[in-house]
Amino acid sequence: MVSKNGGDRHFEAWLESAFDEAAVFADADLFAFRVQDALERNWFMRRVLIGALGVVGGLIGGAQLVRSGLVDHLGAVSGVWRLVNNDLISLPVERLASEVFGAGPSTGVEVLWMSGAMAVIALGLFVTRALREF
Amino acid sequence: MAQTLAFMALAARASAHDMDLAALSVAGDRNAFGELVRRHGGGVRALLRRMGADPSTADDLAQDAFLAAFEQIAEFRGEGAFAGWVGRIAARLYIRRWRREARMTWGHEAPEEDAGAGLGEAGANAKIDLDEALKRLSAVERLCVSLCYGAGLSHAEAAAALNAPLGTVKSHVKRGLDKLKGALVAEPSPSPQERAYHG
Repeated sequence: MVSKNGGDRHFEAWLESAFDEAAVFADADLFAFRVQDALERNWFMRRVLIGALGVVGGLIGGAQLVRSGLVDHLGAVSGVWRLVNNDLISLPVERLASEVFGAGPSTGVEVLWMSGAMAVIALGLFVTRALREF
Repeated sequence: MAQTLAFMALAARASAHDMDLAALSVAGDRNAFGELVRRHGGGVRALLRRMGADPSTADDLAQDAFLAAFEQIAEFRGEGAFAGWVGRIAARLYIRRWRREARMTWGHEAPEEDAGAGLGEAGANAKIDLDEALKRLSAVERLCVSLCYGAGLSHAEAAAALNAPLGTVKSHVKRGLDKLKGALVAEPSPSPQERAYHG
């Protein structure tokens, strides 16, 4: 039989089966172990990288929130709600303006607590992930 | 209890079909992929050696091929055998290295070792296995034959992978086949155990 290549189709079929024939290596298990070990290492490094990026992202996000004055805005909002709950109408105009717009910047202690808490949460997630990998 | 469960999982993996193991690998089951490596690692390593890689390079590339396969496992649809799919990844990695090392020459090179007296004259009783016979081919012939008959690439695919003219690849394959035919006798090849690699 002649193949399209002009060769002997029987020989080519035999050759394909010879290539397919399972080769037995004395260190087959060691090779499989090496590959799996490399996979595990890659996987671990990937998790660590994701965790580390999460920590950095958390810290940056926390810092941005603090710098954007969110705490101050929240303070102002809570001041408004306090006014609504108290009798708003009964307040004099001067008092109303000072309550709504006069909320001063939050203290340095508040900022420190908030950013510290976010960093702790991010670190906790990272450590938990790292411990699971071991 | 945990040991029993681990043993049951191991037994289940050992008896699972390649497609099932591939599906588990897609879900991130690295142990399932490890079973695929155990099953087909030998074939990929042998293919790379037959293509002309030295044993340590072949093993390194085979490892890289399996790692790449794990990354791309979702693309394995089971249209062909898993071994063939990984084999093609490994073959492409080898070609890339070959080309990077600028070893690609399309002339007529000498075989890797002296063929001595024509193997065709060795007599019908001579048993020469494929690995030995491939050594009688030039590096390019060996690569082309291994790509087409070992990795399952068509002539056109091999030409594209090698960045070589189709006609050139075809003629290398033809010459390689002629040499192999002269070297190999049409007897059943030795059993895998007889042909076991050591190293």
